[in-house]
Amino acid sequence: MDTLFNKPQKQIFAIFSFLFLSIVFSSNHAFAQGGDKIFKQNCAVCHSLGSNTVTGPGLKDVFTRVPSEEWMHKWIKNNNALIAAGEPYAVKIFNDNKKTAMTVFASSLSDDDITAVMKYIKDYKEPAPQNPTSVAGGAAAPAEEGLNPLAILIGVIAFLIIIVAVLRGVRHSLKNLQNEKQGLPEEESVSAWTELKQWIYGHKRTTVVIILIILGGLLTSGWYALKDIGVYEGYHPEQPIAFSHKIHAGDNAINCQYCHSGVERSKVAGIPTVNVCMNCHKGITKGPTTGTTEIAKIYEAAGWDPEKGEYNKPQKPIKWIKVHNLQDFVFFSHQQHVKVGKQECATCHGEVKEMTTVHQDKQLTMAWCIDCHRKTEVPGMKNNPYYESMHKKLAEQYKNLPKEEQVITVAKMGGIECGKCHY
Amino acid sequence: MATKKYWKGLDELSNSPEFVQNANNEFAEQPPVEKFLESKNLGNEGTNRRDFLKFLGFSVTAASLAACETPVNKAIPYVMKPEEITPGVANWYASTYFDGRDYAAVLVKTREGRPIKLMGNNLSKVSSATNARIQASVLSLYDSSRLSGPIANGSASSWSTVDKEIGQKLSAIAAKGGAIRILSSTIISPSTKAAIADFSAKYPTTKLVTYDAVSYSGITKANEQTFGQAVIPTYYFDKAQIVVSIGADFLANWIEDYSVGFAKNRRVSKENATMSKHYQFESNLSLTGANADERTPVKVSEQGKVVVNLYNAVAKIVGGSSIPSSALPYDEEIAKAAKDLAANKGKSLVVAGSNDVNVQLVVNAINKMLDNYGKTIDLENPSFLNQSDDKAFADLVTDMASGKVDALITYNTNPVYTAPASLKFADAYNKVGLRISFADKADETASMANYICPDHHYLESWNDFNPRIAHYSLSQPTISPLYSTRQAQETLLKWSGNTTDFHSYMQKVWQERVFPMQGKYMAFPEFWNHSLQDGAIEVGKGEEITMASGADSLKAAPVAVKGAKKEEKPKEEPKAPVAAVDLNSAAQKINAAKSAGNGNFELAIYEKVGIGNGNQANNPWLQELPDPITKITWDNYVTMSPADMVDEKGEPIYDLMKRQDRTASLVNVTVNGQTIKLPVVPQPGQARGTIGIALGYGRDKAGSLSERVGTVIGKNVYPFTQMADGTIIYAALDAKVESANETTQIAGTQVHHTLMGREIVKETVLSEYQKNQKAGNADDMLTTNSGKIKAADVDLWDAFPRPGHVWGMTIDLNSCFGCGACVVSCTAENNVAVVGKEQVMKTREMHWLRIDRYYTTNWPNEGKEAKDLAKEKHEGAIAMYLDMENPEAINPKVVFQPMMCQHCNHAPCENVCPVLATNHSSDGLNTMAYNRCVGTRYCANNCPFKVRRFNWFNYNGNADFTFNPSQDDLGRMVLNPDVVVRSRGVMEKCSMCVQRIQAGKLEAKKAERVLVDADVNTACADACPTNAIVFGDLSNPDSAISKLRAQEKDGRNYFVLEELGIKPTVSYLTKVRNCEETVYKGAEEKSEKAEA
Repeated sequence: MDTLFNKPQKQIFAIFSFLFLSIVFSSNHAFAQGGDKIFKQNCAVCHSLGSNTVTGPGLKDVFTRVPSEEWMHKWIKNNNALIAAGEPYAVKIFNDNKKTAMTVFASSLSDDDITAVMKYIKDYKEPAPQNPTSVAGGAAAPAEEGLNPLAILIGVIAFLIIIVAVLRGVRHSLKNLQNEKQGLPEEESVSAWTELKQWIYGHKRTTVVIILIILGGLLTSGWYALKDIGVYEGYHPEQPIAFSHKIHAGDNAINCQYCHSGVERSKVAGIPTVNVCMNCHKGITKGPTTGTTEIAKIYEAAGWDPEKGEYNKPQKPIKWIKVHNLQDFVFFSHQQHVKVGKQECATCHGEVKEMTTVHQDKQLTMAWCIDCHRKTEVPGMKNNPYYESMHKKLAEQYKNLPKEEQVITVAKMGGIECGKCHY
Repeated sequence: MATKKYWKGLDELSNSPEFVQNANNEFAEQPPVEKFLESKNLGNEGTNRRDFLKFLGFSVTAASLAACETPVNKAIPYVMKPEEITPGVANWYASTYFDGRDYAAVLVKTREGRPIKLMGNNLSKVSSATNARIQASVLSLYDSSRLSGPIANGSASSWSTVDKEIGQKLSAIAAKGGAIRILSSTIISPSTKAAIADFSAKYPTTKLVTYDAVSYSGITKANEQTFGQAVIPTYYFDKAQIVVSIGADFLANWIEDYSVGFAKNRRVSKENATMSKHYQFESNLSLTGANADERTPVKVSEQGKVVVNLYNAVAKIVGGSSIPSSALPYDEEIAKAAKDLAANKGKSLVVAGSNDVNVQLVVNAINKMLDNYGKTIDLENPSFLNQSDDKAFADLVTDMASGKVDALITYNTNPVYTAPASLKFADAYNKVGLRISFADKADETASMANYICPDHHYLESWNDFNPRIAHYSLSQPTISPLYSTRQAQETLLKWSGNTTDFHSYMQKVWQERVFPMQGKYMAFPEFWNHSLQDGAIEVGKGEEITMASGADSLKAAPVAVKGAKKEEKPKEEPKAPVAAVDLNSAAQKINAAKSAGNGNFELAIYEKVGIGNGNQANNPWLQELPDPITKITWDNYVTMSPADMVDEKGEPIYDLMKRQDRTASLVNVTVNGQTIKLPVVPQPGQARGTIGIALGYGRDKAGSLSERVGTVIGKNVYPFTQMADGTIIYAALDAKVESANETTQIAGTQVHHTLMGREIVKETVLSEYQKNQKAGNADDMLTTNSGKIKAADVDLWDAFPRPGHVWGMTIDLNSCFGCGACVVSCTAENNVAVVGKEQVMKTREMHWLRIDRYYTTNWPNEGKEAKDLAKEKHEGAIAMYLDMENPEAINPKVVFQPMMCQHCNHAPCENVCPVLATNHSSDGLNTMAYNRCVGTRYCANNCPFKVRRFNWFNYNGNADFTFNPSQDDLGRMVLNPDVVVRSRGVMEKCSMCVQRIQAGKLEAKKAERVLVDADVNTACADACPTNAIVFGDLSNPDSAISKLRAQEKDGRNYFVLEELGIKPTVSYLTKVRNCEETVYKGAEEKSEKAEA
């Protein structure tokens, strides 16, 4: 019994200690992640965690260089103050980096944030190089997906037809053999076509049903095929520069609006102009996957000479290929959806953060638009005085409906009327 | 039933059988299906039914295959984005339009660096009124006929070569003391004058001669003689209770835009039921005459005599000596006007359009007698907009002809085209050794020049303007120069050895001269930036640049009074007494004018609202803008009284244009031995014995538009103007008109959409209105079993909920003068296609907004209504309008009514669309989904207002429509990117600028506040100089439109055809005339219709 009693005790102990450890670990983990996030949002634009200089110096082994952690904290908070105070190491850093001033974070980062980010920098370990085999495996997977179900179907049908033909021949031979044995005359050789016709005469109702089923199937598939004309879901053209949203928006967590700055101000989010790329890529000359080749294309476009560090060549605009194409007769405004409606980018664009090559994630058809307008209660319109009187009237108008239908959707505010998008 | 009859064209009035037949046809011409099927080639090419099916099958397959491919659309961002540009967001810049003719401070809307739209800048205290020409000027920027660089002796050259060669030649001329002349239209730019002064300093033999194509130097000269001030005064039409105009078209084409001031005194309301009274004596039916309370058609030769007789009539009342005069048939009307004038001393205004000094002298004397100086006429703050000196110009031409001029630089002027024939300018021009032109095109003058140094378009230029004392405005580039052009001022500076760019030069001039005149800003950069942002500023009065155009006066350019504002001078009496002017001799000279000889006509030359003096003749928007009166596009023509078009027996001599206004007789008009052939158009209201022809046409070197439409548009009548007593007279008293025994087709938008006697416009007279706010605006009533109710209140349907905005528009017919600025503004805003003359003739013009012009005459059968008469005669009621024939058609009254989609809340068009392409929004708009439209045109058939427009062709790609701006790589840049360019086979119509509504709503949403009036305005309301169009949100009780509707609810507000139960969104305000007709029965119920 003791042992029986002890065992669960041990188990319980083990479970508790595991839970405790995992909580500790996960909270530690969360702490580190906080620093990670802060770093990517605020520091990664100018500093790498390696030893290479971007706009600012690389941060590998930074704590061995700086006078103290306390100094580092002050420096991050307000480097200008340190420089102004004439602190020797601060002045040295400032001069070493071409007197480029670092952003002052006194107002945007709290002391805890700074501590977190410092911890993140300290604890950061360079990831092991990626396993090439896993990449190959990843590449192989889509090829498997590529097997067309239609081809399988056609194959199966062809196989069945062959079997039927073979079986028919076999049956014919067997029948003849049997007839021969029984001394009956050889069965008249009837062509398969005649036989089919005979069968049809005998089974008219079944034939009609079969034909109707086939016709129905064809019509339905035809209908869906036609419906997909002009729908480019999954469209992922090859771009002139192999730009990866995964690296920028995902790994480095650069805010979408840093590059697509028009999203709250204009109907178009805007493709970043080359000078926006150059903000970071003046320093970041080498990428994790493509090395220098793709980044060199930015320099080519901007007319930047990385050797001399100046713009001395002719500019060449980059001809990006539009992924999300709306018809000319639709007016779509990003600011309406993002600024006023407070919609997330991913609602329409999918998880761009995970896309190496951007693809069109949603259908972008009118039905898709309207579907969302019918369901969505716009988060942004609450507390917006613009909508106040309209909401009162709508609430009054729909007060007799069941509770779940009283939700004021975009559609109820007129958001599915033709003239709201087509003019 | 009101006892007035409205008619749109003479054929409606005379009700010819063709008209009746056509009136019943929706479309003037059948679609050319049969023509296509009957085509010979159809058979020859063996395209039979089977082939057709083959083609069909192939094309369907091909189309579906093509549709399967993903389109590759490129998106090319800036490499280095200018900081102020956000793609998709418009930037606005303050600028100024002045072409030597029209002046307005404007705001320029640019999208991604392209100017696409103009609107008035309300900060200007001189003029923010953008007329049709100014609205259209943004398209002139993208004129592909502009020169792409300097031209030397007919071939392309470079600026460095041209500068070198011209510099050498000018130096050589200056060295030998040869005369250098700059011939320019009016310059009101202080910096330009300074640049010319610098140029004159380098080449001391330089003199500036100012010459405007349409000159008002008669007024300048008269003021010089009367008051010793050679200026054009500022006229305050808003302070005048009585306005008498003798041939001055001051609402459309006079010195400045006076419509804004005039409209202020024309607005009536319950609280202020008074308005000014306007008499007009004129030969052509001008836009101003069409809006007059009392209009008298007067022969051209008698216009001066009317002024003389008016002088005597006024003198008789106020006590003054009379001047020699002769009796006129209009003395009764003159006496009436004189009586009103004398009763409103100091609150009246007499103006005359004549450029004859003698006439203007007498006009001055009348205004002096009426004590109007310092009250309605301001000589202390003259207008600088027209400084033409015709005498100096004539002298220059004489000098040129005798070889005394060695170099002539023409700037912003085209005298080979505009000079009177008698001056023989072209011959004289060829005798000048060095001919330089700054024209932006190889126009009539420039193509004869040795060098063309093309100037920037004004939207590419820096410039400054001083339209009146103490008022300044600036223009700034809103686009990089499209061509290798250079600003004329910079060119002059370069030739004078100054290499600064004009921008810095201008800043220097402003720092020295304008900056010290104000005390608001301490530092110049601050002052400059604010001035540039505001566009128009008012400063304290300094010494202004004088109007005289001689080079000497240029050097004495303004020396500003430092520091504080100068004390305004007390209003002095004019310096020289009137008596010093010999009015008697002036009157005698006026009276000596002989009327036309036997059978001949007197020609009055006028400017049209669209083409003006012709400097924008290459602008298709302006060519397609219908003339407000004749409604004719793409042509000029002879206007003639219909009574003059028939012989004594009443047989027509010329085509009276009864077949849908298309076929017109051609006539040869001969003046001083020069003949031009033009179509003749019957014009009700044209004075008997006179004809009118518009300037600005017949430009064979205006640009490529004439090639694109296949012919030179119209004929040039500038040669018919004449030089007399040192001024150019825009009339010819002896014009021979002979039939050319030919006909031609002209494109009017006139009677396409007849409204057959229904009450579309409502009007009343002031005396009735003062008694009853609802005068002339009686409701249609229905008798039901529960008593009489308003027909419009009868409704089969429940009202739709209106949770959000409710858009509404109200148009005041009293303030609408029919100028057409709204039409061009709408065209620019909504990418409306230009369809050309051929299509207009087929009633296929695309204007979303048209201005209907109705002539009105009194119903002669007193006491009887048309339907009763019809019963008596066993005829249709329409036929009864025949009785309203001739006498009154000689001088009808005119009403203008802007007509666009009325956005009916029970819209007949919506019900009949089989594909639901047109439907109603919850904010009250009748919307059009182009991509849904399949072109059945049922909606157009069912529209009671005929405002729907169908795209018969692909105007954006079809080779027959190359004149359409959207077919031109440059012209396309003017398109508004927020509005779809419609393709063939779809219906379109006024959207109430839904793109602006959506944008305005978004601004309010983003700012998290309720929508206010300033957020949204339609393009037409935006452009209306007199604010006749009010647009806004009816759901907001604080909006301007809600207040106006509330104020006029039981007054002038009415909805067109509301008795049909269509519940329009657009309403109108009854027109009120200040005349003495009492033909209206007031607000009694007009008729009782069928029992409900």
